Amino acid sequence: MRRDMFKFNLKRGLRDIYGHLILIAFPVVLIAFFNFIYKKTSIFSGTHGQELSILTILTIGFALTFQVYGAALSFDTIAVDFFSPIKDRLAASPADLRRMIISILTTATIVSFFQTLFIVLFSIVVLNVSLPKLYLILPVMVLSIIFHQLFGSVIMLASRSVKTSNAIMTTYGSVAPMLIGLYFPLPNTPFFTIVRTYSTPVALANTAIKGIVGNDMPKVVLALIPLLLLTFVLFFLIRPLIKKVAS
Amino acid sequence: MIVRMEEVMKRFGRNLALDCFNLQMEKGEVIGLLGPNGAGKTTCIRAIIGLIPIDDGEISVFGIPQDGKNKEIRRRIGYVTQELTIYEEMSVWDNLAFFGGLYGLTKEQLSVRVPEVIRIIGLEGREKERVKQFSGGMKRRLNIGCALLHEPELLIMDEPTVGIDPQSRNFILEFVKTLASHGTSILYTSHYIEEVEAVASRIHIMDQGHTIANGTLKELIARIKGDSHILIDVRISSEEKIAALRAIPEIKEVVLDDNRYHIVVPGGITVFDKILAVLSELTIVNVNSKQPNLEDVFLTLTGKQLRDEA
Repeated sequence: MRRDMFKFNLKRGLRDIYGHLILIAFPVVLIAFFNFIYKKTSIFSGTHGQELSILTILTIGFALTFQVYGAALSFDTIAVDFFSPIKDRLAASPADLRRMIISILTTATIVSFFQTLFIVLFSIVVLNVSLPKLYLILPVMVLSIIFHQLFGSVIMLASRSVKTSNAIMTTYGSVAPMLIGLYFPLPNTPFFTIVRTYSTPVALANTAIKGIVGNDMPKVVLALIPLLLLTFVLFFLIRPLIKKVAS
Repeated sequence: MIVRMEEVMKRFGRNLALDCFNLQMEKGEVIGLLGPNGAGKTTCIRAIIGLIPIDDGEISVFGIPQDGKNKEIRRRIGYVTQELTIYEEMSVWDNLAFFGGLYGLTKEQLSVRVPEVIRIIGLEGREKERVKQFSGGMKRRLNIGCALLHEPELLIMDEPTVGIDPQSRNFILEFVKTLASHGTSILYTSHYIEEVEAVASRIHIMDQGHTIANGTLKELIARIKGDSHILIDVRISSEEKIAALRAIPEIKEVVLDDNRYHIVVPGGITVFDKILAVLSELTIVNVNSKQPNLEDVFLTLTGKQLRDEA
């Protein structure tokens, strides 16, 4: 039963063509667009003392930014199943509805990871972006995906409203890239350095990945610990919410 | 006994949805639950399945007390919801396999049952297509099919024909009769009298949360056999005349439907002259009388027509 649910939800997630267009094609276009805008400056100052190419910064930044919007993969699906008449049909069956929600969260995380992977591979293969230590970068990307899937779903389950969740995630998804200096460079003051490095989960993941690329392990650890803690907090928050909705 | 409900009470705030409601259902029976919108039909169904707790009374299903947690009861019930509860972006096969899986069917069992159900609901050759391209009738049939995968002993159908074409409606009614002839117990709710007349072996008429009459179609009609039903069409009707007609002591009930007055009088009583006196100024265009049917039973017992919005 568990495997059937997983297979079904994975298929549902992968069939959302419009979702893929927005979450894969759009960031790829934005990476190319911003690269074109910034190319006259040719080098963008990194935050770790080393210099990273614009394309590397854009690839990491947009891949992380669109994971925020990718949170809709789970909370939209949960809403369809648990805040619509379908819930009656599911609840009338002997199936464990908590497993159903966990299956949705897991499959949404996998689909979001595929989308991120596509963006990263496109940048490496087509745009010749240099992303060393991909085997370390990808686990950080996965952690960021898990955080955002949980975050969107916690908001939706707590508010019982897709509209609220969408509004919060869209606002956050618009502000977070600005706070890492993705759309325009932020001033090089201590305050803005902290904002750029630690202000949001997107900033934390961005800092960790740049740390990996630049071999700055203390920076990686300093960024990953709060991101991990926040993910655990969401994990503990979502458990009673799932129990309530599935009962 | 398949279902036993005794003195069941269910409130939603101030609204009493089930008021000392009783229902017994034997194996192989098709019970038609008839009532206007808001009569309590869906609440009754949800209570039987265990989707809502009841405030008082007792419910047992397959002889097992319904506490809302018993998976054995759920495993043996098929539930056809009033709204379409299928995944429109997925194929017929995916939908059936998913809902079958929820009831614990293995991959091997699904490979046998899914094609069988596709044949039963008449969607052969369309199994790989996405449901969102289908007509309302085809979606309704799939909605029913999703409740049949696990061969339930009790099939609960909540207004399964809402919003579909006559052809699909006939298909569903014939299908219900076939299923019943194979021994499946069916609880069928509708506010379409002709549907309940067509499929039910016993009928429960519900209004405001309780049963106001139950029995076979013949038994129910026999209850009002003595009454005469007079239908008078006028050019332009007037609501005020209803009160004037009701003031005539011999008249049992009056309902106005567009420009037609439906008047119930005890058999053998001649009140034509009094009725005509009240309605004469509205220009009478037609006068008729008819044999009572289930609709008349409902009208006589509740004083309203079934399709009135509650």
